[in-house]
Amino acid sequence: MIATAAALRPAPARTAGAGRAGVRLAWLHLRSRRVPAGILALALCGGALRAALHWHWAFSSGPYAQQIPMIIEAGAAAVIAVTSHSPFGETERAAGRWLPYLRLLAAAGMCGLAIALLQLGAAGESLNQGILVLARNVTGITGIGLLCSLVTGGLLAWTLPIGYMAFSQYALLQGWTAPWTWPVRLPADRGAWICACAVFTAGLLLFTIRGPRIRLSDKC
Amino acid sequence: MTPAVVSLRPGRAPARRMASLAAAGRLLRLELKRNVVPYVLPLLAAVFYFDTFRTADGYPPVWTVRASVIGDHILFEFCAFAGGMAAWAGSRERRRKALDLVASTPRAVWARLSVTLAGTLGWLLLAFLAGVAAIYIPTALQATWGGPPLWPVFAGAAGVIVVTIIGFACGVFFPGRFTAPLVAIGLLVLYQAGFREALGVTASPGTAALLSPASAVPSVDAGVYHHVAPDVPITQVMFMGGIAVALLGVLALAAALRQRAPARGRIALRGWPARGDNWLLRTVAVVLVAAGVAASWTAYSLAGTAKLTAAGWEIPALHDAARDRPVPFVPDCRSAPGGFQVCVHPAFSGYLGDVAAALDPVAAEIAGLPGAPVRAEQVASVGTWPHGYGPSHTAGNPPVLEYSGEEVGDLFGVFWGIPAGAGPDWRAGFQQGLLDPFLTEPPHSAAAARTGPTPLGAAQQAVEDAVMVMAAAGSPPPLRIGQHGHSGGPSQAQITAAASRFASLPGSARHAWLAAHLAALRAGTITAAQIP
Repeated sequence: MIATAAALRPAPARTAGAGRAGVRLAWLHLRSRRVPAGILALALCGGALRAALHWHWAFSSGPYAQQIPMIIEAGAAAVIAVTSHSPFGETERAAGRWLPYLRLLAAAGMCGLAIALLQLGAAGESLNQGILVLARNVTGITGIGLLCSLVTGGLLAWTLPIGYMAFSQYALLQGWTAPWTWPVRLPADRGAWICACAVFTAGLLLFTIRGPRIRLSDKC
Repeated sequence: MTPAVVSLRPGRAPARRMASLAAAGRLLRLELKRNVVPYVLPLLAAVFYFDTFRTADGYPPVWTVRASVIGDHILFEFCAFAGGMAAWAGSRERRRKALDLVASTPRAVWARLSVTLAGTLGWLLLAFLAGVAAIYIPTALQATWGGPPLWPVFAGAAGVIVVTIIGFACGVFFPGRFTAPLVAIGLLVLYQAGFREALGVTASPGTAALLSPASAVPSVDAGVYHHVAPDVPITQVMFMGGIAVALLGVLALAAALRQRAPARGRIALRGWPARGDNWLLRTVAVVLVAAGVAASWTAYSLAGTAKLTAAGWEIPALHDAARDRPVPFVPDCRSAPGGFQVCVHPAFSGYLGDVAAALDPVAAEIAGLPGAPVRAEQVASVGTWPHGYGPSHTAGNPPVLEYSGEEVGDLFGVFWGIPAGAGPDWRAGFQQGLLDPFLTEPPHSAAAARTGPTPLGAAQQAVEDAVMVMAAAGSPPPLRIGQHGHSGGPSQAQITAAASRFASLPGSARHAWLAAHLAALRAGTITAAQIP
């Protein structure tokens, strides 16, 4: 009977149902991570960048010109890192077979969206060093945030990106040239791109496989 | 019975107060123990080491200069972490879904929040003071004059407090996972925007520039010759303290506002302070808000009246004219065997040996000639960065070279850095600062005092190079900035040849030639080819 019933079920309907379930699963995953609010926060960062450039809160040239854009880029990366927190913890890990893929999708998608929204905010304004540095900073600092989430948990994962950004401000003014201080390097600098992409890749991979730490961040 | 009751009552009230204080102390101890800030302190310490400590270590050991890192660097780091951590602490009840649980406790919302805020603020202020100590203790060991300025510490502490309370209030009113990073970013952007204003690069740097705790690095001798007026730090403390006090009042009102808001969608304030429950607290909160707003507004108005003087910004309503008198000091001097004396301010006595080693050989070459300086004396630098400082010049009778800690000749930032690092370029800068006015201007020239010496001609350049070669025991002098390559004049090779010829003469012959031709050399009527 079971085999007959299965044979009678139309195949296209089953595919559509699985697709709908997949979309619903992804949507529930994103909602549980407050991704819609995160997108709003990223849009806020884009708006702040536009305001800073439009009303000249930042310097127009020299090393100081990169300071406020770098702060906002680190803020966007911190927002992405914070969306890694799950309210379900171990329960979800035990039951969620698709969880690593969903984490990968969410983190990579948010990173791309952050770059797009920040670039949208800077459109029509003179952004020091252009979109290449913006994209490199967001990518690399997001990697730092994802790595941090493995240790501190998602909710406190913003601390290390902010700390790295504060250090980079010093490196910027002191003219450091080490590749791992990629925010201070030129847009086409290969070493800086390699470092930023390596950190992002490492962060994304480990975050996808292991997920953020669950307990520590919510103790305080 | 009655006497017994009466006798017991006076004893109970203090006991209750003691018990209440003990309970508050226990709460605070628990809060300090479980607060999140200690977890972030290692990261804060790492950023502090690279950003603040290393920067301060590169500054000369002058108290005002070293203390400038409090507003320029420490506060930047605390904007990043204090605001975020305070927002995290403020949103704790909501984050842990404990609102209903804690609502049933006998403590008022304000009491709970104030304990959390006190714990967070306590840790952050402790970290801030530790940072200040890490700057001030090495400075105390290295500085040769003056004492630690306290107003930058007060302004910095006020900055930490206001940043913490802003973050905490954001955490209480907008609890959410994004609040902490967004508060941190918002405060950093605000800080940097204020820093840009403070650097004075806008067309009309206004009130905001003075209220920003971040500012340009002061001149190297700030606070050395004149007291730094505390007018601006007082205004900053008043402004930031006012914001903090007003936010404390808003936090105290928060619970009551929330209770009254949902009734009809708007807050009915009529008769609200007189309600029976916690009316005293609400009244105090309203007073705090009013006092805080008034203090901040007053500080803003005062900052608008500030005037820039030679000693810095002064606010007439706060300024103490008695502090305008120069700070008395006895200069550190060293005399060469030839009689040439080099003097520096005691705050820079570590540079005395290097300055004397640079100037003594050159001064010996021109000793006794008309207009030759008999002393080099450090004076207060006049002007501000980035608009430039007053040039060094030779003045007086007998002539004295007056230079500042910021500029001598073409050398800028004279006393920035470590004395032991004085290299050939640094020494050459001092020597040129002595020789340029000697070779180009008549002594006691008022024009030189105003604008500095005019550029050297080819013959003057050759003589200067020769004197510097002799002073450096035969090694060629470093190239001068902007002095070589006169269009249409002799080539650099011709100048170098003339300098070599002149340097190869015996010392007495050089001296005699200079004595005979100095007036013509200064007037520019001698060519490089005429130099023997």
